[in-house]
Amino acid sequence: MPEEDRKPSRSPKRQQSVTNIVNLKEINELIDLLTEKGISEFEMERAGVRLRISRNAASHSPQVSFQPANSKGGIGIASPSPLVVLSETASEPLSQADPMAVLSAEELSVVRSPMVGTFYAAPVQGTPPFVQVGDKVQPGQVLCIIEAMKLMNEIEAEIAGEIVRCYVENGQPVEYGEPLFDLRPALPSAKRT
Amino acid sequence: MAERQQDRQLDRLVDLLTKNATVVMSGTKLATQLGVSPSTLWEWIERLRSLGVEVRGLPGAGYQLKKVPDILTPQAVRRSLHRGQFGCQIYHFYETDSTMTEAERLAGKDAPHGTLVIAEEQTAGRGRFGRQWFSEPAVGIYFTLILRPRLAPSAASILTLLAGVALAEIIHEICQLPTDLRWPNDVLIREKKCAGILVEMTAEPERIAHILMGIGVNVNHPQMPKDLTAEATSLHQEAGRTFSRLEILSAVLKRLERYYLQCLEQGPAVIVHRFSEISSFARGKRVRITDGPRLLTGETAGLSPEGILLLRRDDGQTEMILGGQVRAE
Repeated sequence: MPEEDRKPSRSPKRQQSVTNIVNLKEINELIDLLTEKGISEFEMERAGVRLRISRNAASHSPQVSFQPANSKGGIGIASPSPLVVLSETASEPLSQADPMAVLSAEELSVVRSPMVGTFYAAPVQGTPPFVQVGDKVQPGQVLCIIEAMKLMNEIEAEIAGEIVRCYVENGQPVEYGEPLFDLRPALPSAKRT
Repeated sequence: MAERQQDRQLDRLVDLLTKNATVVMSGTKLATQLGVSPSTLWEWIERLRSLGVEVRGLPGAGYQLKKVPDILTPQAVRRSLHRGQFGCQIYHFYETDSTMTEAERLAGKDAPHGTLVIAEEQTAGRGRFGRQWFSEPAVGIYFTLILRPRLAPSAASILTLLAGVALAEIIHEICQLPTDLRWPNDVLIREKKCAGILVEMTAEPERIAHILMGIGVNVNHPQMPKDLTAEATSLHQEAGRTFSRLEILSAVLKRLERYYLQCLEQGPAVIVHRFSEISSFARGKRVRITDGPRLLTGETAGLSPEGILLLRRDDGQTEMILGGQVRAE
């Protein structure tokens, strides 16, 4: 897929990741509070992200901007309604070596246990696990086994992607719906130019 | 593929011999019917003999069966099954690595619910966690059923108990042997295992793609290998006589299907109830349970409605047992 086709979908996704750190409801409440109290500018910092809200007194439409706490500048885009913007020049910590650290649950596919049972990472005791963090998997590839009453349930990947996290250790009990793996879906245009 | 074709031709030879069991079949005629040379036919007859088929060779005249062979050809199995879904398609192998592996391959190719894979011999028969299942040629029953139940994956565990109950009942009825069930599904005769069950499921979170129900029964093994004699036995060893594998297989398949349909319609209660009636392990038995690094001891206190074993631990607490190895203390 050409780079152009992918771009439009990128910024909304990244917005979600930031709003995960500072939740959207909180921001709305903040804006309401600032409007109510007649405060024109507000700034806060949390989890490495600085949130700045400034109200244009003439239009009464507040501007919200996010930026990494340690970077300078970064101005929100004016909009008739409150808008959440992440500075594209974001450096640390949002675009560190491991960008997955701040990606939200919406971007990762969470593989959950379909049943109560025991988690097995490998087909045979003492052999390498089906998958490890960093492995690329294909749809239908076995990720682990959940056993209950000797029913061996092979959990397969439903989508192609990369294992970025394994929640459970071999031999541990798991509950229904408990997360087993985080999978970063493979994008059709994963290569960056 | 050539291997598969030969399996089918061997099946045809067995069926032809069976159909004409009382007469001497001309070797030339048999070879022509099968589309092979007389020397290939002779090789195949030898192969069948090695599987226990008793064929008399009459020089210049042909071949004659001495006894109806106990080979599980699709035709013979189908004829014994009436009209069920279990066995709607039958794949019969004279030798394969494992019926589970064959079934997995077939399930991936959309084999329908009820597809049956049978082997006379497994070169790599397996149990859970890659454990080996001893599969001596033509004396045991080794098969896998492909099931596609409309069940939530979390409700499918009862199928392991169901398989144990069906096997214990049939072995008791046909062989007149005292059977016991060790939770969840070891079929025991006098505290030794005579059948093994391996159920593997492939499922999405809300939907079962397929379930492979693998069953191995030690039927006519004259004796078990030395390293297994403490734990395992065969029906022949226990009863002192030989049984028809075909009779046991078809009875097991019919019972499995009956309980399966009952279970889908009415839930697991019927299985849990039958298990509790048959099994000495269900209630009031001192057991030792090893589950990974954990070791539990206590007394069994019945099954939950889902078939989970309840254990009254020595510290007085009752724990629900979902897995691990249960042994009598």
